[in-house]
Amino acid sequence: MTIKHTRRTILKATAATVFTTAFIPNLVWANGPINIGSLTPNTGGGGPFGPTITAAHKSIVDRVNAAGGILGRRVELFQNNSETNPETAIRAARKLVDVNKVKAIIGTFSSSVTLGIMPLCQEANVIQMCTSSSADIPAKDKKGLVFNFQALSPRWGKAIADLALSNGYKNFAIMALNNDFTSSMVNSFVETVTAGGAEIVNKPFYYNGGQASYRAEVAKLIEDDPKAVFIPSYVTDFTAVYKELYRAGYEGKVFTVSIATGSKFKKAIGDAANGILHGLPVPPLESEAYKFYLKLQGLEDTGNMQHPFGTAGMDQISTLLLAMESAGTDDANEAAKHIWKVSNPNGERVWDVLEGIKLLRAGKAINYTGASSEIDFDDEGMIKARHFQLWEIRDGQDVTIERIQS
Amino acid sequence: MSAYLISIATFVGFYMILALALNLQWGLTGMVNFGIAGFFGMGAYTSGLLTVYVGFPFLAGVASAGLMGLVAGAFLSMLSVRLRGDYLAIVTLGFAEIVRLFLLNEDWLTRGPRGLSIDVRPMSESFDRNEYGIFYLGIVALTVLIVYFIVEKMRRAPYGRVMRAIREDDVVTETLGKNAFFYRVQVFSIGSMFMCIAGALYAHYVQSISPDHFVPMVAIFIWMSVIVGGAGNNNGLLIGAGVVMLILEGSRFLGDFVSFVDAESLSAIRIIFIGVLLILVIRFRPQGLLPEPKFQAPVGIKTTRVN
Repeated sequence: MTIKHTRRTILKATAATVFTTAFIPNLVWANGPINIGSLTPNTGGGGPFGPTITAAHKSIVDRVNAAGGILGRRVELFQNNSETNPETAIRAARKLVDVNKVKAIIGTFSSSVTLGIMPLCQEANVIQMCTSSSADIPAKDKKGLVFNFQALSPRWGKAIADLALSNGYKNFAIMALNNDFTSSMVNSFVETVTAGGAEIVNKPFYYNGGQASYRAEVAKLIEDDPKAVFIPSYVTDFTAVYKELYRAGYEGKVFTVSIATGSKFKKAIGDAANGILHGLPVPPLESEAYKFYLKLQGLEDTGNMQHPFGTAGMDQISTLLLAMESAGTDDANEAAKHIWKVSNPNGERVWDVLEGIKLLRAGKAINYTGASSEIDFDDEGMIKARHFQLWEIRDGQDVTIERIQS
Repeated sequence: MSAYLISIATFVGFYMILALALNLQWGLTGMVNFGIAGFFGMGAYTSGLLTVYVGFPFLAGVASAGLMGLVAGAFLSMLSVRLRGDYLAIVTLGFAEIVRLFLLNEDWLTRGPRGLSIDVRPMSESFDRNEYGIFYLGIVALTVLIVYFIVEKMRRAPYGRVMRAIREDDVVTETLGKNAFFYRVQVFSIGSMFMCIAGALYAHYVQSISPDHFVPMVAIFIWMSVIVGGAGNNNGLLIGAGVVMLILEGSRFLGDFVSFVDAESLSAIRIIFIGVLLILVIRFRPQGLLPEPKFQAPVGIKTTRVN
C-alpha cells in the first residue's frame, strides 16, 4: 500500500477550499443596473411552456431598456433554466440571489419549484412571481413577497364546474393527474357540482404521470358510464389518457383544463379531439393587452387561446418594473407593496409597460391590465382571475361556449 | 458570490457523500445501485417527517434517517440475494420508483405532491443568513470527512480485499471460505445508510422538499461523479463530484456572458454540453481522473516473479 499522504492531501484540499471561498473577490456587477432573475421551465415537465415565458420576459426588458430603463437605470435580466426540477432550481436560485444579486425571481412554473426556492427567497428578501397554483403558496409566504399570476387550483375547479352545470351536465366521473395543481382542483369541482344538484358516480382518484399506458385508469374512470368526465391534467399525460379514452369508445363529454389541449395536443389527436370542453382563466373580452402580447411576439391572432403562460410572463415583468418605478426604488420590500398599487383597479388602464411608466412619471395612478388576466391581486398576492372561459374543440379549433365573470 | 460558492460547496458535499456510498457499493464491491434517488429521498423524508411531526431534534432526525437506510438497504440486498449485476440494477431502479410513488401518493403521511416544509435546523437562531451557510457547510463537510474516513478504512482493511474479491469473482471468494452474501448485505446497507444521511442533511438544508426533488437525475449525477472521478478510488470521486458540479453549475453562467444565443437555446446547449463531456471522459480516460490504486507488495519485501 503506497498511498501515504492521504490525510495531508485532504487537509490541504480542505484548506484550499476554505481559502478560495473566503477570499475570492465579491463579483458584484456594478451598482448601476437593476437585476432581475428569470427562472423558467425550459426543459422537463414545463418544457412546452417555459420558452414562451422566457421570450416574454426578455421582450419586455428589451423594450424598457430601449426607452431608457426605469428609475434612470438599465434593467439587467438573468435568465436560467429550472429544468422543472426543484433540486436543480434551488441551485439556480442561489446563483441568481447570491451572484447576480437579483431583486426578484420571476417565471417559476411548477409548484414544487416555487415552494422549493421559497425559503431562500424569503430569507434573502427577494420577490417571487410565479404561475403555480398550489394552495400552500400563500400560506408559506410570510413576508408578502410572493405574487401568483395563475388562479389557485380551487378557483379553476369551481369555474369549470359552474360552466359544466350551466351547460346541463349532471353526472360526472373524475380522475386527476397527481400533482399539486391538478389534484387540488378536484375537491372544489366536486363541491360545486354536488351543490348544484349533480351527481359524482365514482370516487375521484389520482393517477401518476409519466406512464406508457393509462388503460387501467381509464377503464376505472368510465366503468359506471358517467355522462361526463373531468380530467384535470397536463398536455403530455392528457394526450395519452385521451387516446385511451377514445379507444375505449367512450361517448360522454370530456372536461379538462385548456393547458392540456394546446396545439400540440390537437396535432397529436386530430379529429378525435372534437367535442372536448376545456376551460381557463382569461383576460377580459377583446383584451387590448392580449393583442399587444401577440404583436410583441409576432403571433397571428388565431382566435385560439395561445401562450397561457407566456402572457403571464409578460404580465409578471411588466408589473414588477412598474412597481419599482412607482416605488422609486428597486428595494424588494418597497416594490412589493407597489405591486398592488399599480395593478389593482384604481387608476388608468394600461397594458404597455412604456405607457405605464409614462403615466407614473406624470404622477398618475395606473391599473395594469394583463394579457393573461385582469391582474388584480388579493391581500395574499394571489391573482383574482375574475374571468373564466369554456371552449369546445370543433374541427380542430377552440370555439367559445361561455364565459363567466365573478 | 462567496455565499453562492458556499452553497454550491454544500451541494458538492451532498454529492460527495452519495458518491462515497456508491463507491462502496459499486466501485469496490461491484453491486450496481441505480436506486440512489430512492435512498436519498427516503432519508430526506424520514428526518423531515420525524422532526416536523414527532418533534425530533435535528441530530435524532439524521440518525433515524441513517437507521432507516441501514434497514432498507439490508432488506433490499437480502431480497435480491440471488440477483447479481444487471438484475440488482433493475431491483434498485424499481426501489427508487417505489419510494417516489409512495412519497407522491401516501398523502396522509407525506403530504403527497404538495411537499413538506421543514423548519427544524440546528442552531438556526445563532447566525445570520451568510454565517448560517458557512455553519451548515461545516456540518456537511464534517459528515463528508467521517464518511470518507469510514469508507477509506474499510477499503484498506482486510475487509476491503474481500470486497474487491467479490467484485472480481464471487465464486472464487466463496471458495476461499468467505460468505459473499453476508459481505454484500453489510456493504449495501452501510452504503444505503450514508445515502439516507445525505438525504436528511439535504432536507434540513433546503427546508422544502417534495417528491420531485428525488428523480433519477440525481442518481445519474452521482454515477457521473464516480465514473469521472475514478471508480474504486475514494479521492478520485471527491474530485469527480466537484467536477460534475462545476460543469452543471459553471455552464449556468454562460448565459450571463453569451449574448448570441437566447436563453431558451442555451438551456438546451448546456445539457448537451454535459452529455458530450461525459462521453469524452469515458472515451479518453475510462479509468477516471484518479484511477483505482493497484496494490503492490510493501517496500522491503522481495518479490520473485513466478514464471
